[in-house]
Amino acid sequence: MSANASKPLIETRNLVKKFGSFTALNGVSLKVYSGEVHALLGDNGAGKSTLIKILSGVFPPTSGEIAVEGEVVSFASPRNATEAGIGTVYQDLALNPLTSVTRNFFLGRELTRFKSPFGLLKMGEMHQIAMQEMKKIGITISDPEQAVGTMSGGQRQTLAIARAIYFGAKVLILDEPTSALGQKQQMEVLKTIRRVQKLGNIAIILITHNEIHARLIADRFTFLSLGEVIGEGTSKDLEGDDIKRLMAGGAKIGDLAKELAI
Amino acid sequence: MENSAVSRKETDRLDAKSFFGVIFARPEIGPIGVMLLLFGMLGYFSIPAGEFSWNPFAGEGFNALGIRNNLKVISQLSIIALGAGLLIVAGEFDLSIGSMIGFAGACMAMILRWGFTIIVPYVSFAGGPHIEFITLIHISDISPIGAILITLCFTLFFGWLQGFIVVKSGLPSFIVTLGGLFFLRGLTEVSLRSFNHRPDQVKGATTVTEIPDIKNIIEVPGYGEIEREAAKALPEKDLVGIFDALPASTVADLTEKLNYTYQRVADAKTDIMASRGVKPLERALENAVESGNTQMADTIRDKIATFSIEPVVAKSVSQADVARAYLDTVFSARPVANFFGGDILEPFFDWLYFSVDWNTNNFGNQFAQGLYSCVMIALILALACHIVLSRTQAGNWIYSTGGNLQAAKANGVPTDKVKVCLFIFSAFCATIFAACQVFEVNTADAARGNLKELEAIAAAVIGGIVMTGGFGTVLGIVVGAFIFGLAKEAFFYIPGIDGSFYRVFLGLVIVASALLNENIRKRIMGTI
Ligand SMILES: Nc1ncnc2c1ncn2[C@@H]1O[C@H](COP(=O)(O)OP(=O)(O)OP(=O)(O)O)[C@@H](O)[C@H]1O
Ligand SMILES: [Mg+2]
Repeated sequence: MSANASKPLIETRNLVKKFGSFTALNGVSLKVYSGEVHALLGDNGAGKSTLIKILSGVFPPTSGEIAVEGEVVSFASPRNATEAGIGTVYQDLALNPLTSVTRNFFLGRELTRFKSPFGLLKMGEMHQIAMQEMKKIGITISDPEQAVGTMSGGQRQTLAIARAIYFGAKVLILDEPTSALGQKQQMEVLKTIRRVQKLGNIAIILITHNEIHARLIADRFTFLSLGEVIGEGTSKDLEGDDIKRLMAGGAKIGDLAKELAI
Repeated sequence: MENSAVSRKETDRLDAKSFFGVIFARPEIGPIGVMLLLFGMLGYFSIPAGEFSWNPFAGEGFNALGIRNNLKVISQLSIIALGAGLLIVAGEFDLSIGSMIGFAGACMAMILRWGFTIIVPYVSFAGGPHIEFITLIHISDISPIGAILITLCFTLFFGWLQGFIVVKSGLPSFIVTLGGLFFLRGLTEVSLRSFNHRPDQVKGATTVTEIPDIKNIIEVPGYGEIEREAAKALPEKDLVGIFDALPASTVADLTEKLNYTYQRVADAKTDIMASRGVKPLERALENAVESGNTQMADTIRDKIATFSIEPVVAKSVSQADVARAYLDTVFSARPVANFFGGDILEPFFDWLYFSVDWNTNNFGNQFAQGLYSCVMIALILALACHIVLSRTQAGNWIYSTGGNLQAAKANGVPTDKVKVCLFIFSAFCATIFAACQVFEVNTADAARGNLKELEAIAAAVIGGIVMTGGFGTVLGIVVGAFIFGLAKEAFFYIPGIDGSFYRVFLGLVIVASALLNENIRKRIMGTI
């Protein structure tokens, strides 16, 4: 996994983001390597979502730069970011619950018989690809016509991830993919992430508040607090207590215990 | 045990789909049931009392004329319901449809009646400032297609404008198109009043009349282009002249048909007269039986049994008759007007009359000449919408725009474009509706289309369109229009109840459908 550790797939250098007079990010540098899961951890409001929104082209940074495979890029829109190979799976997954698995898989990029919005859909081919891509990362769905609304949360996650990968994501950004899921479905998603990790050519940025999940699956960690990086390292570098402490924004466990003792 | 657990696959969890299972899972199944119910009601209730028949086509509701009229109402409603329905699927409303119908009809009629003019006002200072006008373009004698195209420029622009305001401002389309509803209706009335200044018009009328019957303008050798009725009213000797020019085979064919018709008319007359003659005898017989006068009753019975009258002799076919029959068969010289306002399937309805002996009224004449052309237009439109919505990329965009706007946007669907296009399409449908009306009846009225927007939305809801968007089918919309149209007619025939009960019924159906739709939506969203 660390074979290509020398050359990060995506790298941010000194990213600063200000919302008016409020500094959401204050010089964040981050290196993410292919085949690795990079956990982005930090307290509520630390700036994790802000960071990935910049990476996925939702808004530009105030200063600093992003490099994909060594080349500096700037994104004017989420489309740009997608084209550069950054696939974001948002918290709401960007799925339309009322239509089928296949229609969601190809949403916005439907295969048509001739190139026009009025071109007929190649439904058969789309069904087949959707099924096959989801199977690759571990979920067999029984019916590609099934409405997404009736799928389990874990299956939906998988659909969104499979979709991002199929449409050329080299960097996969997952914003709290396991929140709002039951215990079993959380494991399902982790398994999916593990399969993507094993594909070897995709870098994963994982935002989570769940220390256990991070420790189970992440190869590298970055801790954010109040818009700054307060710690980073590989899974080997970090002890369990460290992770807990850094996730809470650098406070010591003892301090936290005191804080709780009202 | 363990082995079987391992070999279980995800696909095993889904029951195999049975044929009936698939059919009953369709969201349209409920509406189709209601539609069949109404079909039966209209069919059987319209059969006159005492003439029971298993055939639903035996009554007035579905005799040839009933079918013609019912299908017209249903098709016209379908046309606007398609526009309204697709827009609702994309998550927006259009309340301006009714006013748009009035506006488009008035626009078309004014252009057909007075031509099209572009006038530019400017302020002149010669002799004190005042406003003067220069006429940039004036075209009189505009063809039907010209009138329709110019009208479309206005209506499609207005549809675009409403859509543009909605997507740019984020205001609810309900409010924006409510504005459109008042604006267009007012504009229509104002323009009609200000145009009706001519000496030949009642000043201030909000109607346009005296448009020629354009769809029935035909080309008659020797007379040029002439209205069908005017041609048929030509003097006898002119008609004979037209007759003389006809090929022998046409004459033979028409003569045979006319003879058939005249014979049918004569037979019908005979029947009517016979029943008229027998009626008093039957009444007398009843009286006699009641009063117990058996001898008298027997005599009357005898009289009834032997009662007969001279059969009426069929009219003979004159040359002028053949000429008139020929003029009826000449195809319109204005195919566009005929496409919107004319009839279709005439040969089929002729066949029903001449060969099947079904399309015949009480007087022996042919009942319906054909179906209104709007039936075909509605079919074409419905088919196109069905393909677009269910089979194309645009369809997926429409569903996702209404189903989850943010998701659609995040996946690069041009949701604003989708919405604006559907607002334009809704205006297009209203214009087509207006064209069908104007070319059928050759008049326009500022009040046309009143409340049609609500009927269109009602039809869409009844047909399974979910009001919050993202769900529904074109088949459903058409079924909804059928239910609406059939209900209007069916309740009229139920003996002993007020015809307005159809509104009560529709009110219930609308709410029931909305509940059902919501239930289906929740089931798909996984919330129940
Ligand atoms: N558009 C915005 N305008 C102003 N302030 C913003 C905006 N977006 C985010 N912020 C602020 O920036 C800070 C970082 O927010 P962000 O959403 O990145 O936190 P987070 O680390 O994702 O938190 P959580 O773990 O709760 O998701 C917060 O204080 C937030 O209020
Ligand atoms: Mg966040």
